[in-house]
Amino acid sequence: MKRILIVLTIGAALTGAALAHHGWGSYDAANPVTVTGPILAAKYENPHATINVKGSDKEWVVTLAPTFRMSNRGASADVVAVGKTVVAFGYPSTVEKDEMRAERITIDGKTYEMR
Amino acid sequence: MTDAAPAIFQALEASAWGNTIRQSHWLYMTANVGHILSLVVFASGIAVIDLRMAGMLAATAPGQILKVFRRVVGIGFLGLLVTGSILFTAEASHVITNPVFQLKLALILLGLLNVTWFEYFTAPKVRDLPPLKALPPEAKTAGIVSLAIWFVVAAVGRSIAYF
Repeated sequence: MKRILIVLTIGAALTGAALAHHGWGSYDAANPVTVTGPILAAKYENPHATINVKGSDKEWVVTLAPTFRMSNRGASADVVAVGKTVVAFGYPSTVEKDEMRAERITIDGKTYEMR
Repeated sequence: MTDAAPAIFQALEASAWGNTIRQSHWLYMTANVGHILSLVVFASGIAVIDLRMAGMLAATAPGQILKVFRRVVGIGFLGLLVTGSILFTAEASHVITNPVFQLKLALILLGLLNVTWFEYFTAPKVRDLPPLKALPPEAKTAGIVSLAIWFVVAAVGRSIAYF
């Protein structure tokens, strides 16, 4: 019992330090956005690939999917490459300014599901 | 990369090994799957030992249960450590500043303290007892506390991605 109390105390102390941290849960699904523009930078990396897209309003950081899934679905590093024009539909982050999580992207007329 | 993290974790993430993990087609996914498999092995061994200590499976010899399933737990823990360090390295600077990950580390430490305490003080009193003989109360406590800790560790671990 004593040890369980210690667990709870440590847990409470640490979660007290919890500030706004960027996680997978914090996207605004009620207000989806579509960003269209050239890919300025691409990180084809785990755990999730990201691209920077020059949208009409601002430069977005678009979080994509695990690279294994993306390449399985045809969205390889050659497809999701700097210089290509992308249409990204997704949800803006409620934590990170200018970041969105893509549901799907369209490049060269082909649409790739990210989820 | 976040510069809110201590330099050593930024360096770990930026290292060639970190790069390899992030860019490899197989490595990260394999580590992810391996982490779950290791957890299954670890948790199965933990469950048998802890339930025996808590008073179930009373017709078995406690010493034999400890001897056999301690190995299962060890193999599982080693797998968790190796695969977990791969997942961690890929995003070290972000993960180390994640409060849920910090909570997980604290709970793992607590779980290991419980194991150490148990192995030094409780196991010697238990391992030579015959089947069906009641175990000392501290064995029961250790078993229940251990089960609780590792369940919460697993839940918190899976939650890291959401905070």
